[in-house]
Amino acid sequence: MEIARHNIRNDVLDTYLSVKFELMRYSKTRRLLIIAALAIIIPLIFYVKVPDTAGVFAANVLTFINVLIVISAAMFAGDAVCGEFEKKTNLLSFPTPQRRSSIFAGKYIAALLATFLVVLLYYVVMLLQIAQLYGWGAIPTELGKSFLTALFFSAAAVSVVYFFSGLLKRSISSTIVGFLFLMVVLRVVQEILTRVNQEPWFIVTYSADLITNVLGVSSSLGSGRREALSTLPAFTPHFGVGIAVMLAYAIIGFVAGMALALRKED
Amino acid sequence: MEYAIRTENLVKRYSKGFTALDGVSLQIRKGEVVGYVGPNGAGKTTTIKILTGLLKPSSGHAYVNGIDVTANPREALRTIGALIEVPGVYDYLTPHEMLSYFGKVYRMSGGEIDHRIKETLELVRLSDWEHKKIGTFSTGMLRRLTIAKAILHKPDNLILDEPVLGLDPEGIRDVRELIRQFRNEGMTVFLSSHLLGEVAEVCSTVIFLNKGKVVSSDSMDTIGSTMERKAVDVKFLKPLSREEIEKLRAIELVSGVDVNDNTARLLYDGKPESSVQILRRLVSSNFDVVSYNVESAGLEDYYVSVMGEGKGSN
Repeated sequence: MEIARHNIRNDVLDTYLSVKFELMRYSKTRRLLIIAALAIIIPLIFYVKVPDTAGVFAANVLTFINVLIVISAAMFAGDAVCGEFEKKTNLLSFPTPQRRSSIFAGKYIAALLATFLVVLLYYVVMLLQIAQLYGWGAIPTELGKSFLTALFFSAAAVSVVYFFSGLLKRSISSTIVGFLFLMVVLRVVQEILTRVNQEPWFIVTYSADLITNVLGVSSSLGSGRREALSTLPAFTPHFGVGIAVMLAYAIIGFVAGMALALRKED
Repeated sequence: MEYAIRTENLVKRYSKGFTALDGVSLQIRKGEVVGYVGPNGAGKTTTIKILTGLLKPSSGHAYVNGIDVTANPREALRTIGALIEVPGVYDYLTPHEMLSYFGKVYRMSGGEIDHRIKETLELVRLSDWEHKKIGTFSTGMLRRLTIAKAILHKPDNLILDEPVLGLDPEGIRDVRELIRQFRNEGMTVFLSSHLLGEVAEVCSTVIFLNKGKVVSSDSMDTIGSTMERKAVDVKFLKPLSREEIEKLRAIELVSGVDVNDNTARLLYDGKPESSVQILRRLVSSNFDVVSYNVESAGLEDYYVSVMGEGKGSN
């Protein structure tokens, strides 16, 4: 019992060290800086055309949060597993008294934290904009729910890219494949299912629409596209189901990615 | 007797049916510097990867300080420092940042980490580079840095896989000197290499591996005496005359003479006493001897004799 407790304590400490090391890596390679800069710059674009209400402004700004989350997940989780083998840094880190699972869990958590940080930054900038344009009192309370949903989607996106990082051999491949899977493949499947009158409830990018849907207002951007799609059946993701789907992607992606990471041999 | 490193019938089969190790059993005593040699593909790196927990054996066991590496890797790997092949490094970090991380992994205290970083970087002559980006380092510096990482936690056992691969002569000399230093400090060193000269320079025992099997394991002294060729090469001041050659043939301990200009190879029974007697006879017979060398075959010849010429895996 005492030995098991000692081992768990060691595993937790090793995972913590791995998280810290990865975050240092992100900051040294300026990855974190670049994505954080995007999180600050993108909301500023929306000063160009300011709508009448704070809700619509928030919906406009949040139109881009999904893309930012996917970019962030691809950049941070893309090399989490395969990068270690590709760059042969595993020959330094593996022959040490720590489990591989601790190293790879640390890498996953670091990617997750970095993406959470980017999302937080994006929402903070947006809140400051709303406060400046409409006053603090005008901040929609639904933004809290939207933020929570964005965190769930972040976890799902990071897990999907992490899975590809365990599956593929090169960091560049897993980064690109992860990005295209979330941005193109799932979107195409979602569109096809919608056209055949099937609700794509199990597609994580469909669930991610909740980030703006929970605000209860529509974005004033892209109204022309909406008119063009008006003949299609209109599905709206259910909050509970959407969160469950994102959670499922997060758990399955992480577990599958970790299993692949532990099976990899030099 | 507890060995520093021991393996029992290690077998490693890969999924494609290739057997990299076929029942390898090794016994390395504490404080020994052991060379592990064999052709490319013989299974040296596979053995080392199993000893350092990078690979799991298909069957058999590997022990470090009596601890089973597969069953209890955390405890076993705490006592090992390893340099395997040419590992990747974190280009964007400094040696201090990289070694600090590994110091924490080995549960060293903050003060201990700083002290050991200074000590090891001084040992590998990288003190001036402690806070410089690793990405700017030369190949030799990188190798020395990875050695510093391997010895940071003062391991009992050091496992080095081709440590001089790709290094220039100066880099090779540096690594050789470091291994000598580790040996003097009482560390057990297990050195895998296909450069026999390196092994002969620093190792006390050599294990020969071929096609996944140990074919020979001997001390350097035994190898040296086995390979004595029962011949002595003598260089004279001037080319020998016909009479002088006859005089050489007349020495009773000499069984054959092969003369070439001012040198002669004298064949004898190989006993050291006989060699001394022959030298005395040469001097007493007024030969002008410039040099007198008992010829002994090197590790290369021994390697060929145990492996069979051209019978390596590759």
